[in-house]
Amino acid sequence: MANTLRLYLTCIRNTLEAAMCLQNFPCQEVERHNKPEVELKTSPELLLNPVLICRNEAEKCLIETSINSVKQSDELENILTKKFLRFLSMRAEAFQVLRRKPVQGYDISFLITNYHCEEMQKHKLIDFIVQFMEDIDKEISELKMSVNTRGRLVATEFLKQFI
Amino acid sequence: MAAIAVHQFAQCITCHAWSPEQSMIALCPNNNEVHIYRLVDDKWERLHVLQKHDQIVSGVDWSSRSNRIVTASHDRNSYVWNLEGAEWVPTLVILRLNRAALCVRWSPRENKFAVGSGAKTVCICYYEQENNWWVSKLIRKRHDSSVTSVAWHPNNILLATTSTDGKCRVFSTFIKGVDAKDSRAGPSSDSKFGEQIIQLDLSISWAFGVRWSPSGNTLAYVGHNSMIYFVDDIGPSPLAQNVAFRDLPLRDVIFVSERLVIGVGFDCNPMVFAADESGIWSFVRFLGERKTSAGPKYGSQFSEAFGKLYGQPKHGVNNDGVEHSRSRGGIHENCINCIVSLGQPGISTTKRFSTSGLDGRVVIWDLENQADLSEYL
Repeated sequence: MANTLRLYLTCIRNTLEAAMCLQNFPCQEVERHNKPEVELKTSPELLLNPVLICRNEAEKCLIETSINSVKQSDELENILTKKFLRFLSMRAEAFQVLRRKPVQGYDISFLITNYHCEEMQKHKLIDFIVQFMEDIDKEISELKMSVNTRGRLVATEFLKQFI
Repeated sequence: MAAIAVHQFAQCITCHAWSPEQSMIALCPNNNEVHIYRLVDDKWERLHVLQKHDQIVSGVDWSSRSNRIVTASHDRNSYVWNLEGAEWVPTLVILRLNRAALCVRWSPRENKFAVGSGAKTVCICYYEQENNWWVSKLIRKRHDSSVTSVAWHPNNILLATTSTDGKCRVFSTFIKGVDAKDSRAGPSSDSKFGEQIIQLDLSISWAFGVRWSPSGNTLAYVGHNSMIYFVDDIGPSPLAQNVAFRDLPLRDVIFVSERLVIGVGFDCNPMVFAADESGIWSFVRFLGERKTSAGPKYGSQFSEAFGKLYGQPKHGVNNDGVEHSRSRGGIHENCINCIVSLGQPGISTTKRFSTSGLDGRVVIWDLENQADLSEYL
């Protein structure tokens, strides 16, 4: 794995570790409601400062934290990713913490609430997210490679007739 | 080992409380019920299930003298449960809240209790003989956000609250006809109900867990910015100390003695804070031992590198990846959100306390054999 990716993911992991200090917190504005504050944003005092981690111009990760939820959004570089992540987002239930619709300006978003932290172990959740990002990176570079190989093969076959 | 008993009661526990003689425990398994367990022949047996709330129970407290349980829930209600025969009979408390109740605590004399709420108010409830119900008086002003924790001063009048606006406030809760005149002593001698004695603006983030020391001279509360605050001489000229630590923030604290504080929180391991002779507070250590990380330990840097080299084939591809976050390896595996001292009534200091957390465990800790902490007890 590229060294920059490792640093990037370690940084994300440490930020998530600190951000995921969540608790059950009922809504202050609406009676008998309990919703992720990071989505509603009704009480500014319940939100913490968002953290933006950038690997390069094209790849960045935004971590927004509130008292009972964390939203992590990633932007990755190329068009292949966008297609691939759309495919995943459509199957968001299977991932539980994956947000069905990414935050504007980002390609994929996770929404972690206090309920996830109650059901699952925190470090496993963080492992999952980091592993997910690592795998996406790997998957994308493999896809890129196979597209290139395929393109080259097709071109060779096509050009053979002119020899 | 500081932990003397560990028991898994449920998947997740929001709060717990002990009966006066500590033979029974009341806990909320993260739903709308409160379960009461009793220890029978080294096994916890479920005796009662208190079902009256219709949303998650956020606070429970068991009065030590009058043997009453008070519960508070996100459904905006609170009940006082009395044991009549073999049944726990609920009495509804008219809280007059329009948001969730978040925490509840009996006053030291057990004639009042305080409920902190998401409506940015605190309810002080007392019993009205003629109507046979608990009525509440509200402290409406001052709070700019949800009240996360309440603590009673031993004099039964002063109440400290923490809120998600990051402030800690102390109020007078003198109620005519409930509190006797002579119980008003010290700085609170001429304050009306709901009067704010002091507002502490030390934390830049949310404040949780507040507690008074056994004598009522010191107030401790925690902030979500991994800080704990100690305030002496509550009154016109308070003395505050901030202690920052490098681990994840705390959720709740208790005083074990005047000079020893235990904090619990997101680090899943109780933290010990102590004051030295001059009254300076500092972090001492974690109470639970952490298991050291798996894998062989190498003596020197060279042999470590050597070991890595030889270890390589075994780890395979995994070695190349990002390191996995360590499992906490403590007794609790998830955030601890409740700590209760197991003191006998009448004795101000205690060496035992219990913690419960999101991992569904209740752990009883004893400081008896902790040699390095005995000087603070």
